[in-house]
Amino acid sequence: MLCEKCKKRTATVFYNENINGKVRSFSLCGDCAAKMREKGELQDVTSMVGSFADPFSELQDHFFGSFFGLPSPSYIEEKACPTCGTTYREITKNGLLGCPDCYKTFEAELESTIGAAQGTTRHQGAVPARHRAKQKLEEKRKELKAKLDAAISKEEYEEAARLRDEIRKLSANEKSDEKGEN
Amino acid sequence: MTWYQTVGQHPDTVISSRVRLARNLSGYPFSSKLGAAEANEIIEKIGSVLEPAGFRKIHFSGISPVLATSYVERHYVSPDFANKTSPHALFLEEQEGLAVMACEEDHLRIQCILPGLSLEEAFKNARRTEQLLDENFDFAYSEKLGYLTHCPTNLGTGMRASVMLFLPALTMGGYMDALASRLSKIGLTVRGLFGEGSGSAGCMYQISNQVTLGFSEEELLHRLEDAIKQTIEKEEKMRKSISGDALDRLTDRILRSEGILKYAHMLSSSEFVKLFSDVRFGISLGIVNDITYEQLGELLVETMPATLTLSAEHSPKTAAARDMLRAKIVKEKLTHDNRGKE
Ligand SMILES: [Zn+2]
Ligand SMILES: [Zn+2]
Repeated sequence: MLCEKCKKRTATVFYNENINGKVRSFSLCGDCAAKMREKGELQDVTSMVGSFADPFSELQDHFFGSFFGLPSPSYIEEKACPTCGTTYREITKNGLLGCPDCYKTFEAELESTIGAAQGTTRHQGAVPARHRAKQKLEEKRKELKAKLDAAISKEEYEEAARLRDEIRKLSANEKSDEKGEN
Repeated sequence: MTWYQTVGQHPDTVISSRVRLARNLSGYPFSSKLGAAEANEIIEKIGSVLEPAGFRKIHFSGISPVLATSYVERHYVSPDFANKTSPHALFLEEQEGLAVMACEEDHLRIQCILPGLSLEEAFKNARRTEQLLDENFDFAYSEKLGYLTHCPTNLGTGMRASVMLFLPALTMGGYMDALASRLSKIGLTVRGLFGEGSGSAGCMYQISNQVTLGFSEEELLHRLEDAIKQTIEKEEKMRKSISGDALDRLTDRILRSEGILKYAHMLSSSEFVKLFSDVRFGISLGIVNDITYEQLGELLVETMPATLTLSAEHSPKTAAARDMLRAKIVKEKLTHDNRGKE
């Protein structure tokens, strides 16, 4: 969140006052809060809530300010995500994507931005359970396919038929799993 | 007992550790594009898993601004979350330090906050909650970019880990800028807890990882913990080096602060933070003996404006009334309340 006075620095002082039922509230950066206090516009800094919960808001300002600084050709600016309708212009404006599919839609446009901010574009961390299951299934399918190819080249047709059935069963199970989702 | 009422490892220098995981449900747009009906649907879905697991649901649309702010003061939600107008909810399990924000910037911010230096345990707790949700929902994920988040700065692990440090000696010595620039070179960010310009009024700083993509959760945590341990070492060395005339001056200042903290009739919030810091420093140096970290930790939260207002039978109407109430609460705890002592 940006400071509402200078609209430049990140707000770190959240001021609320209630004087005889008259409520005023400000979100300010440290510098602007100090200035207002000097001028007597703030009665008392009673509400210095640290911006503890949002340690990276500054980073975000900096991130998009510097990397999205250059204007893009208009055909890229107007490009929109087919799932949610968010345009590239919107993304460069507020630094937020519209939906998970935006990452596919704007993959090429975002690649260098993500790389510059994160240092890499390759995930190394945890994997969701469903994705892990899919990966396992994929490995199993590859293994069976290799066996099947080997069986065919050795003209072991009975074994090949058995393997083909097994592969079909794998695919059928996967489909019914997908239907069962939600 | 909650995180601010107890102490953990390295209480002289570490106040708390926190790990936060950002997740989004696939099949929905991100939060800023979410309709009210969809947001409520997500809140319902999350509740159906978390409430049976012992979490308490707080629907933020239905609570007063002052109550919402009190959750910010206890570090369970972000200021932006407290001020949101579209549907959003908090799921809280205070004993384990677990707080799940639903429909924050991301659909889910799963976080665990614990006293002292305990990043590993905080991660374990957050991860356990995340796994519970993972069993029931499909998170937005890509093999290449990891967990997909509203803002690309959270991609990959979606993990932000942070430690709140108490560094009075490094602050007094003017070393914080140097420390911050050093840490930024290894991908860590330093922020003052009370954002007063470049300095920090309470000598409290939060150090967190900047990068979230390209490393495993364990690697990110180890890097942070290494840097924290080195910082603690430097702070402790600085504290030990204070001697002679400087120690006498410091002792005088700390004891005066203790006196004011215990007996003042009015305390503004900024004055409280300054005195808090002096007295906390005094405990670690053995100068202050009859106040505990636990008492100070409770006061740090209880004297915050919203929490303070909520604690009063008749909420204070003026700044002066609030300052008197603050001083009264502090005096009562430090001169009558002997909990947490042998
Ligand atoms: Zn400002
Ligand atoms: Zn989209």
